[in-house]
Amino acid sequence: MGSANLSAWFPEWASTFAPGVDMVFYDLYFVGLIVLILTVGLAVTFMFAFRRRSGDPEQVPAGGLNKCLLGAWMLGTIALGGFAFMAGLGEFVDSTVPPYDSYAIDITTREGAWDFAYPGGYVADTLRVPTGKPVLLALTSEDISRQLAIPAMRVQQAVLPGRTTETWFEPITPGTFPIYSGTFSSVRYDSLPVAMIALSEPDFASWLAAASDIFAGRTMAEVGEFLYVAQGCKACHSLDGSKLVGPSFKNLYGHEAVSTDGRTRKVDAGYVKESVLSPNAFVVEGFQGVMPTFDGKLDDRKIEAIVAYLESLSDHGEAGPQEDK
Amino acid sequence: MDNTSHSAVDALRDSYLGGPGGVMGWFRSTDHKRVALMYLAWTAAAFVMAMILAMLPLMMALGGGDFERRMLTQVITYQRLIQVMGWMVPVLPGVLGFFLLPLQLGARNMALPVLSRLSLHFHVIGLLLLLASQIICPIGTGWTMDSRLAMLEPGAFEVLLVGLFFMAMSWMLTGINFVVTVHHGRRQEMGFFDMPLTVWGMYVYGYLLIFSGAVFAAVALFMTASRITTTGLFGWEADPMVWRSYFWFSIRPVAYFALIPGVGILSDLISGISRRTSPGYRLLVGSMIALAGLAVASSGVALIGRGLDPGSSLVFSFFSLLVLIPAALIGFTWLSTLYRGSITLSPAAFFALGFLLHAGIAVGMGMLLASPSLGSYLGTSLFASAQLDYILWGGVMAALLAGLHFWWPKMVGRNFVAGVANLGAVLYIVGLNLALVPRVIMGTQGVPEDAIGLVSGFLAQAQVSGLGWLIVYSGLGVTAGNLLASIWSGDAAEVNPWGAVTLEWTVPSPPPEGNFDG
Ligand code: HEC
Repeated sequence: MGSANLSAWFPEWASTFAPGVDMVFYDLYFVGLIVLILTVGLAVTFMFAFRRRSGDPEQVPAGGLNKCLLGAWMLGTIALGGFAFMAGLGEFVDSTVPPYDSYAIDITTREGAWDFAYPGGYVADTLRVPTGKPVLLALTSEDISRQLAIPAMRVQQAVLPGRTTETWFEPITPGTFPIYSGTFSSVRYDSLPVAMIALSEPDFASWLAAASDIFAGRTMAEVGEFLYVAQGCKACHSLDGSKLVGPSFKNLYGHEAVSTDGRTRKVDAGYVKESVLSPNAFVVEGFQGVMPTFDGKLDDRKIEAIVAYLESLSDHGEAGPQEDK
Repeated sequence: MDNTSHSAVDALRDSYLGGPGGVMGWFRSTDHKRVALMYLAWTAAAFVMAMILAMLPLMMALGGGDFERRMLTQVITYQRLIQVMGWMVPVLPGVLGFFLLPLQLGARNMALPVLSRLSLHFHVIGLLLLLASQIICPIGTGWTMDSRLAMLEPGAFEVLLVGLFFMAMSWMLTGINFVVTVHHGRRQEMGFFDMPLTVWGMYVYGYLLIFSGAVFAAVALFMTASRITTTGLFGWEADPMVWRSYFWFSIRPVAYFALIPGVGILSDLISGISRRTSPGYRLLVGSMIALAGLAVASSGVALIGRGLDPGSSLVFSFFSLLVLIPAALIGFTWLSTLYRGSITLSPAAFFALGFLLHAGIAVGMGMLLASPSLGSYLGTSLFASAQLDYILWGGVMAALLAGLHFWWPKMVGRNFVAGVANLGAVLYIVGLNLALVPRVIMGTQGVPEDAIGLVSGFLAQAQVSGLGWLIVYSGLGVTAGNLLASIWSGDAAEVNPWGAVTLEWTVPSPPPEGNFDG
């Protein structure tokens, strides 16, 4: 992708961490290689140079260690070890402390699925990130342990059940970068998210706006159905007439509702809106007033969508089977 | 048979090999040399098994075939389990340790001969249970057996765990036997700092065997209990980090530092081929002790990037980097021994070079993995698994082969063909690096260690690596064939071919049952 790449060792530099991580590697690698070649080279040389010759005694004297050379050799070793520790330290500490203003994406995984939850509440099954600003990934698993690695960003982190682990990076180039994830297991394995897509900030913003607009490409009733699942109405309201915590949505719209204190009301748009925003104003007979308020979570347009959805589930629906308003 | 002289046949009959024969004769034997040979046979069998398992997916992948994922994970799991638990840990103490300890200490046998036999039997029981679990219903969790996965696996996990329990007990018994033998079996006039370095290596590693064996045996039992009840220390509700910590804390010292006995063996061997005593005897002893201490202190380095908190990561990084110091001391001492020695270029010398190269690479990779920022990027990649391969296939294997080629004439009383052995050494060293370097590169490219089968985009690497393995296998085949053939067709070995001063060279080759009785 046109970014710097010194050799076959590393993938491209696509995050601000890459240069730091790679440079430490190359420094240590070159020094280590030289020491290795020196040691093995000397061993080979000595073996040939000091071959046993006829006339050599049965045992040769033990000789001694060259103290100066040993001192220098050990000092060099300590310096190398010290460098290995110190050189990576700054980057390491950086990588464990995400910047304050990071763009946070919550990642949850379970068998066969990865959920990427963006700050606005939008949940996708692909990972897209904006370039030019720090991105924080908060990871957790609902079943087994996994690893998530994004080599081009030079990050990898464990994804553990019962814990939230974090990793962060700042992408510098837009592009598609492989993600390796998953677990070594014969019973459970995932449909891996194979790539992370980095987009320039404006592109990212417009993608997120388009993707998180639930009205785009859906009829009002479909949006209502979506909200029925996404907002958790499903847990308390069935669609088939059976009684859960709350009354079923089947044939609700257009019928009469009776409250615990004997009042009756026709279920229309106004009633639904009231039920959703202040559920305890009218508690339906035979039920407890346990429904939470959705005030602040559902705006008028979304409530309209729910109304449309309820209409579509009822034989008394005034608008008949779903119509786009 | 025909070309062996009469005296050679006599020598064989008078030796430990001429004792009670037959399956029962060997089965009941508590003679340390027989136990060592049986350890050689069992570890070799285990290794061949692991090699066959490793070949399967490789061949399939190169042939363009596709393995079912489920089976692939199982194959890889057992391959590593057999290699690490059934070969890497017990092989050096089991074969060279048992054989050499009493001989080098001037003793007739191990201090606890019945325990030698028990070690071997526990090892064999463990290995057989491990294989049984594979036949009954294999598991595919990877050799680190993450606790949550262990709760889900349908396989015969309990059988496997009991097998591992027996293996761990066998390590512990071996360790106890070594320590007691060193303390009580030594010749009176031999002080601690008169002991040969092989003995020192085994003695120091013995403590690790006791530590890891005891802890891992307990861990295996707890896991069995958790698995049966799905609760407890490693149960479904438990934090997976608990298992990870216990596992690495108990296994890593004894597995990743299985090179310690190798250091002892190589020290004696380099002195032997150079025909002089080592100039840095006490430095070598100190280095091995330091390595054992660091083995335990650095064990958490395996958890970096696997959920360990940053503070602890730095502590373990630090201890892991300290390994460089004893490693550098050892290298320096060996070079000083070679310098101005009187060196015989024997096959043992070539395998020793292999050890120097591979252990050097493993230590260098360890340095990269211990550097904080790199460690958290590379720690769970193929890079880390290639480092284990460099220790296992590179270090432990080279130490074993170097030691075998050095002491083989003493063990069986026959000389092997040097030229063939040299060929084996060259094939093994060249092949292994061809096989592993591509995997190191795939690791830095970010391929995770649990990548299974062919990783897209890395076909060339997989092919080079596959070719490398084929060369390694042929090298090992040549080597093993040569050693085995020498038993029948080799000529009789001298008592002391190296003019060495350690006690094992004062007894006949092969030694009589009581070593120093003759
Ligand atoms: C915790 C369970 C729970 C959840 C979640 C819940 N409700 Fe309710 N809902 C109830 C209960 C109980 C009642 C009956 C008592 C009442 O009227 O307050 C009820 C009543 C209603 C009624 C009036 C029904 C009637 O028969 O007159 C409507 C409309 C309604 N809910 C809509 C929703 C919508 C839309 C959502 C999702 C955005 C939702 N509810 C989420 C429990 C729940």
